[in-house]
Amino acid sequence: MALLKTPPPHGGNLVDRVVRNPDRAKKMADGCVTFDIKPTMLDGVPIRNVYREIMSICYGFFSPVDGSMVRNEVEKVLEERRLLSEWVFPYPLVFDISEEDYKNLGVGEGDRLLLKLKGQPFAVLDIDEVYKIDPVDIATRTFGTPERNPEVVKVPFDKKHPGYMIYRSMHPVILAGKYTIINEPKFREPFDKFWFPPAKCREVFKEKGWRTAIAHQTRNVPHVGHEALMKNAAYTGDVEPCRGILVNAIIGAKRRGDYPDEAILEGHSAVNRFGYIKPERHMVTFTLWDMRYGNPIESLLHGIIRQNMGCTHHMFGRDHAAVGEYYDMYATQILWTKGIPSFGFEAPPNEVDYGLKIIPQNMAEFWYCPKCQEMVYSETCGHVDMKQKLSGSFIRGMVAEGIFPPNIIMRPEVYKAIVKWWKVYGYPFVNPKYLEEKDKNLEVDLPPMEISKA
Amino acid sequence: MVHYIGLILDDIRLEQIKGTGLEDKLNTLFGGQIKQLVIEVPEEVSKKILAEFPNARIDSRSFLEDLPVAFKRALFKEVVDKKSLGVEVVDAVFGKIDEIKELAAKESEYIPPPDIDTSEI
Repeated sequence: MALLKTPPPHGGNLVDRVVRNPDRAKKMADGCVTFDIKPTMLDGVPIRNVYREIMSICYGFFSPVDGSMVRNEVEKVLEERRLLSEWVFPYPLVFDISEEDYKNLGVGEGDRLLLKLKGQPFAVLDIDEVYKIDPVDIATRTFGTPERNPEVVKVPFDKKHPGYMIYRSMHPVILAGKYTIINEPKFREPFDKFWFPPAKCREVFKEKGWRTAIAHQTRNVPHVGHEALMKNAAYTGDVEPCRGILVNAIIGAKRRGDYPDEAILEGHSAVNRFGYIKPERHMVTFTLWDMRYGNPIESLLHGIIRQNMGCTHHMFGRDHAAVGEYYDMYATQILWTKGIPSFGFEAPPNEVDYGLKIIPQNMAEFWYCPKCQEMVYSETCGHVDMKQKLSGSFIRGMVAEGIFPPNIIMRPEVYKAIVKWWKVYGYPFVNPKYLEEKDKNLEVDLPPMEISKA
Repeated sequence: MVHYIGLILDDIRLEQIKGTGLEDKLNTLFGGQIKQLVIEVPEEVSKKILAEFPNARIDSRSFLEDLPVAFKRALFKEVVDKKSLGVEVVDAVFGKIDEIKELAAKESEYIPPPDIDTSEI
């Protein structure tokens, strides 16, 4: 058996569109028309901030994407889930503005737009094309319909689906072109401890000797079921189990009832800091992205991100990145097992031309078996009628009632991470106050930067 | 379809059910580390509950979860008072639904954190 090694970045090279030389950065932005980045809003609540996409593009998480997509590329992504370069990519990524803002800016093709964030210069967008979209059409085609994608789409997407509403709420004018970050944001605590862009992450893998690593997607504080999943999924590999387990949290717009991002990151970190999985084998990171909950579609993006970070494997559970019952609960596993032709995959995404190199590890469930007296894998334990499931909402109820979860459900240090941020926000979960502060502060601060005006 | 509401018992609550006969109805979970009383809820009642509390949901075990703490506290009080796990305890809670909703609304703003040391995190 050939030994696996760190896969190449998706598309061949990691995108790095960050200017670190201040003089060069200033020159690039001097005299540009400026635009203050605004969040995408729904009923007065921010549901997306394009700054997160710009960060993830420019630091290479979404390689080979390097900017806001031109119209033909958006069409190709929607029809085939391929970029113009043919590489697989799941979502249209665009910089949208209102008609009014477009009129006021007075920019067009060939112009450079300076994007400001929190009042400071952040990035530039070199405009290649300006076009209009129909947000409803983009939203519908992004996620699929029961008619067009009968293999996995069960019911039409509607206003209850957060990802669908992100696309539906976009403005109609798209400025397409490459982004370049000219003023590197500084991450706030505790995000700064977990910021490992793909190039840096690959360096760390090398230092750690992680020839193989399996990625764990999360938007949750880990309970012991998650820990069992990570430990067991990591037994895949080649001649030996995967050397590393990469936890990659998706950090972005939150929904009420979620755990705060800070608790998610520090909760996962507690798993290795307190030895439940030793730190030599476990690492916590994040990607900035306002999750679209696209189940199989989202799993493609997750695969791309983690391959770019250097992972050889990716665990995919039931209902991966899902909300509601729009998709078949096994849609992601179907995609990675046999493909979904109506979404452009006659074969799994790692077996098509210009596809991914990351290897899927489809996993079922873990639950507690009172007979075995341990956490068990649903496909292994024979005492199915005795199963005791660890449900996230069950644990949330316990947390809200102030009950210290027993060690077999949640590690005490993980619970303490929840309480630490509960003390900060006065609430264990995301509430209106958290959303307000998140919208105001984001995850970053920007250093002051003087730019000459146009 | 029947749904369920689980009331987890800590030491204080265990003390409160002593002598009520409810001790015999305790379910244990996770190797005895969790003790709970389970109330069966007919579908029409769970629909009423979901309508009153939009954040509530039914989980993969058919349990109603993400219910307001105020609702669960009131439910436990009725369970103890009536020494019963029958649907009448839910009906009794619905008798005070306006008061519970008022308390639940405050819960979305603030829940006092437990007094535990988190300095090691």
